[in-house]
Amino acid sequence: MEILGQITEFWRQAWPAAVTMIALGSAFAVLLLVASLKLKVQADPKVEEVLAALPGIDCGACGFAGCSSYAKAVVADPKLLGRCAPGGAATAARIAEILSLSVGGGSAPARPIVYCRSHTEDRLFYASYSGIDRCTTANALANVQACKFGCLGFGDCVRACRFDALHVVDGLATVDYDKCTGCGACSKACPRNLIEMVPFTHEVMMVVACRSREDGKTTRAMCKVGCIACGLCARQSDLFTVEDGYARMDTERYEPGEACETAMAKCPTGVIVYRGKGAPPPRPAGQKPARAAT
Amino acid sequence: MKGGLTFPGGVHPPEYKDLTEDCPIQVVPAPSQVVLPLSQHIGTPCRPTVAKGDTVQAGQVVGDADAFVSAPVHSPVAGKVKAVGLAPHAVLGRCQAVTIETDPNAPDDKAPSPQRFGADFNPETYAPEQIRQAARAAGLVGMGGAGFPTRVKLEPNPEQPKKVLIVNGCECEPFITCDYRLMLEWTDQVIAGVRLAARAAEVERIKIGIEDNKPQAIEAVRRAVETCGMDERIEVCVLRTKYPQGSERQLIRAVLGRHVPSGQIPPAIGVLVMNVATCAALAEAVVLGAPLTHRVVTVTGPAIGAPGNYYVPVGMTVGDLIEHCGGLTERSARVVLGGPMMGLAIADMTTPITKTTGAITFLVDRVVRGDRLARPTPCIRCGRCLAVCPEGLNPTKIAHAVMYEKPDLAEQYYMNVCMECGSCSFVCPAHIELTGYIKTGKILHARAKKRMPP
Repeated sequence: MEILGQITEFWRQAWPAAVTMIALGSAFAVLLLVASLKLKVQADPKVEEVLAALPGIDCGACGFAGCSSYAKAVVADPKLLGRCAPGGAATAARIAEILSLSVGGGSAPARPIVYCRSHTEDRLFYASYSGIDRCTTANALANVQACKFGCLGFGDCVRACRFDALHVVDGLATVDYDKCTGCGACSKACPRNLIEMVPFTHEVMMVVACRSREDGKTTRAMCKVGCIACGLCARQSDLFTVEDGYARMDTERYEPGEACETAMAKCPTGVIVYRGKGAPPPRPAGQKPARAAT
Repeated sequence: MKGGLTFPGGVHPPEYKDLTEDCPIQVVPAPSQVVLPLSQHIGTPCRPTVAKGDTVQAGQVVGDADAFVSAPVHSPVAGKVKAVGLAPHAVLGRCQAVTIETDPNAPDDKAPSPQRFGADFNPETYAPEQIRQAARAAGLVGMGGAGFPTRVKLEPNPEQPKKVLIVNGCECEPFITCDYRLMLEWTDQVIAGVRLAARAAEVERIKIGIEDNKPQAIEAVRRAVETCGMDERIEVCVLRTKYPQGSERQLIRAVLGRHVPSGQIPPAIGVLVMNVATCAALAEAVVLGAPLTHRVVTVTGPAIGAPGNYYVPVGMTVGDLIEHCGGLTERSARVVLGGPMMGLAIADMTTPITKTTGAITFLVDRVVRGDRLARPTPCIRCGRCLAVCPEGLNPTKIAHAVMYEKPDLAEQYYMNVCMECGSCSFVCPAHIELTGYIKTGKILHARAKKRMPP
């Protein structure tokens, strides 16, 4: 009985507080309800959808700060479609679907190609370099290695890669195409502009991996596997052109074929190589070209 | 002669000038072949004006460009063009060059002609425009090392009138003595060039800055100035011996007590700075019409047989010069074009001497500082680099910002004000290559800026 009395006493004193709390709560609830209706931000569901379709790695290859900024931008301006390098054609198609656009063809994903195939033992050195081990620093000196156009192998590109897709193997920057997303950071980091972003129209691309502008004799003296601009490849296939002291492959028109294979086999220095996922290893340096049947 | 004018900061590297300071300038006969890089200056590289197989005369133009900021290249020898193509270059590594095979039956080599200039030389007989034209035609560039075309420097600018000409006779780099011998032996020619430069640039006063470790040169230049009859306008300033006193900004600071604003060049405060070697070459160019095809080079260091000051044809390869100077006596650890502080190490001995090569230093292991202790240790924040930085920077902060890929931070510490004098690396007790990192940062910054969309 005493307990009951105490409760009644408590309630008699506390009820104004309880009523006030309930009233305030209801008032704020109404206020919030009104506010949420009046001040509603129109979130574009498309942006959300596009963001979900993007890889979400914020690599910056598209030129925007991250995936969410790109999602906003591409919804506002569909011309920006296809900028996502890691996502490639699949992502572009998915975004186009969300934006109810049709994609024409869909461009091949760009992947980096290192235009050098010379390992440390293939190159000529005049002296040993003992300075800061960065390509940018070494490149400022005249004679770090004889070739002024080849890979320095101090790994400025490796430091730039955020996906562990580049490694220096025996003094040569080597791309791991399984991990590469095509963001292009390595190509910007190379002080010798040796890494180029190339649209991979095929899983494996054939390239002339040299950019030496030296004449053939000098290139031969400096590197076992440099392009000596002999023009043998250009005689086999019109995909090859020789200019500025080195041969280049027209990667946009590249189609695997016998002519290219023959050019590769006949190349006297073996500078024509395959690059890409599961590319066959290049001919060992110094090995004589195959005597292809004519 | 204690005291003297100076600038804040700086270091005192061992001088080693006794190796060559008493060696008179010797003429080097033309080598069998010269390699003439078409980019020996700041500005537009030249295009070759000769082709393979052409016969060239000594002093003939082999490369030229239409651009204002450029300077033609002349052949020092008579002979036949052997090749036009890539050749070694001390800074660029490889660069377009004209290779000339010397004709063995060609007349005698060009010899210096300081006797042609006397105290009675009168620059008034040459019009300012005529002097400037001659500087361009002779392919004159700043011979102190930067290689800025002299013609461009001398051009009067109505917006920034030049009031003072400071002649740089400091030669603060260790080992080098070519400018010292020039001031001592060709004093009248140097003074004639100084007066011509002053006339072309239309300046009011001339100050000749010489460090106080060269009392004989100071004496000789003073005497020549007194006898030339315009001493009220020319003043010889004695500067305290300290590295980098020969740097343009530090020289102005010491001589005039004025500071060139960061990111600007001396004309911004009405000053023109010229090296003594450039002045001597200007006198030759204007009075004798002789192009810049030879220069005085100090060949020095503990590893060379006959160190000395040589009058060398531009384009002679380092290898040929080593042979002429008695070969190498011990294992050379480092071949440096320039002095040990700011020079560039080269390894290809077919690299040619250019217009801006003042010295070749052959260093050995025991002189290359720290090779035994080459391994850098962490920065202990001792602040020695701050104390010696002539530009008042914080080298360790900048270097570490570059080391840890923070270009913006490096920029905030005024990375681009650094002139790469190397004082901070020289004093660093932890052997951190501060200057190397700052240089790297500057290159990265320039690349990033270039790539930015307009």
